[in-house]
Amino acid sequence: MYRKQVRRRRAVLVLLVVIALVLISATFSQSSGGPLHSIQQGMASVFSPLEEGATRALKPARDLVNWVSETFNARGENSDLKADVQKLRAKLAKTQSAIGENEELRKLVGLDNKGILAGYEPVTARVIGRPQTVWYSTVTIDAGSHSGVAVNDPVINGDGLVGRVTDVTPFSAKVTLITDSENAVSASVLPNGPEGVAEPEAGDPNVMLLDFIDRNEPIHEGQMVVTAGWSNGTISSAYPRGIPIGEVRQTTVGQEETYQHIRLEPYPDIRDLDIVQVATNGPERPGVPK
Amino acid sequence: MIVTWRIALRIALIMIVAVVLQVSFFSYLTLFGTTPNIIPLVAVSLGLLGGAMTGAICGFILGFVLDAVLLATLGVSSLMLLAVGYLAGRYREGTEIANTLVPPIMIGALTMAASAGFAAIQLMLGIDVQVSLLVLREIFVQGLLAFVLAIPFYPLIRRVLRPAIVDDVVAGRRMRGPIAAGPQRSRRRSSRRRTSRLRRATGVS
Repeated sequence: MYRKQVRRRRAVLVLLVVIALVLISATFSQSSGGPLHSIQQGMASVFSPLEEGATRALKPARDLVNWVSETFNARGENSDLKADVQKLRAKLAKTQSAIGENEELRKLVGLDNKGILAGYEPVTARVIGRPQTVWYSTVTIDAGSHSGVAVNDPVINGDGLVGRVTDVTPFSAKVTLITDSENAVSASVLPNGPEGVAEPEAGDPNVMLLDFIDRNEPIHEGQMVVTAGWSNGTISSAYPRGIPIGEVRQTTVGQEETYQHIRLEPYPDIRDLDIVQVATNGPERPGVPK
Repeated sequence: MIVTWRIALRIALIMIVAVVLQVSFFSYLTLFGTTPNIIPLVAVSLGLLGGAMTGAICGFILGFVLDAVLLATLGVSSLMLLAVGYLAGRYREGTEIANTLVPPIMIGALTMAASAGFAAIQLMLGIDVQVSLLVLREIFVQGLLAFVLAIPFYPLIRRVLRPAIVDDVVAGRRMRGPIAAGPQRSRRRSSRRRTSRLRRATGVS
């Protein structure tokens, strides 16, 4: 009797492990319209009203906990900010002598979102779900195909580029953030414009790496990095040109290396996204599937 | 644990609430640079309360629902959570939990194991970019947070599933045994005596 029970238990365990492995391989191998994907989308649609309600209802509690946590962090931040103020004063002197150039830069960067998203129809959405580990840099938003959201639409917030839509259900969508390990953005450093690829450092949402910038290019701390909107006619970036990504924090060059190691700090606070804007129905970008 | 339909319903409810809370509340919090994760906590708690099979099955379902809701790679969370749920259950079946600190410690340790396993699976599935050492800190802090969160959450889950837990049912019966019944019986007797004295005094039969 006992042996039979043990055998049954082992069988159930093996079955569960096999199902999990089959699920992993099936998720990777099947297309976006496959049956597993449909089940996943169905479940996400069922849960999205629950998530939306809970997100709204629990906002005061979340804010309270985050307020306590931020108060602890504020002490450390205070000394960092003092150091930043000193640096910024020095920068201000330089900046004042180049106000005209600055104006030109502003136009280039397109700080006004309407300028950046010319030709797009922005859809405002709220973040209703977040992952629990640093390995998935994705969020779920409360706008889906019913609102005109489609796969590969760029997503921004008030600070800059957030990511792009990678999966859509009728009333929700999955946004893969710029800090996700599967994401890479063609980027340009302002004002002189060398172009490279901004990719994340897996496990750290506050850092991105800018790769493929020649070692002889003069890159300095504090320079702004924006989307390059790269295209060669057949393949192009999913993002339009000029969306702010982040700021150069550190540059190093290895002796034998062709490219610089550039660390960026993304402008948007990826861990604290609330309201975002999806750029829908934009101009056709060659090689970017819709 | 005796899993009846009612208890299965309660377990399902616990799992749904846990997923919704995780996605809509805990994922928004940043404590010591990381996000608290209550999903392994619930899988391990169910394993500790219900045994290896309950832990494994609940872990699998929790992982599946979580991956489906987050539109993530199906099966990754299921694999890790079924493993930690099973291990917690095996521990429970082989050892008597005498100290109240044992469940939080188990939950903290197994959450760390789940996070490390999750990282290993992600690396095996292929990550093209550089991996930060902060991942190690994340794993450690998630374990610590799980330990702290287990202090209120484990008793809460235990309370919800109380009618099904064999230890609690046996303890409850013992409580209703002769020693516990003594004062009740004497209370009944004294009330009967009071009633008969009242009847005699008022003359009502």
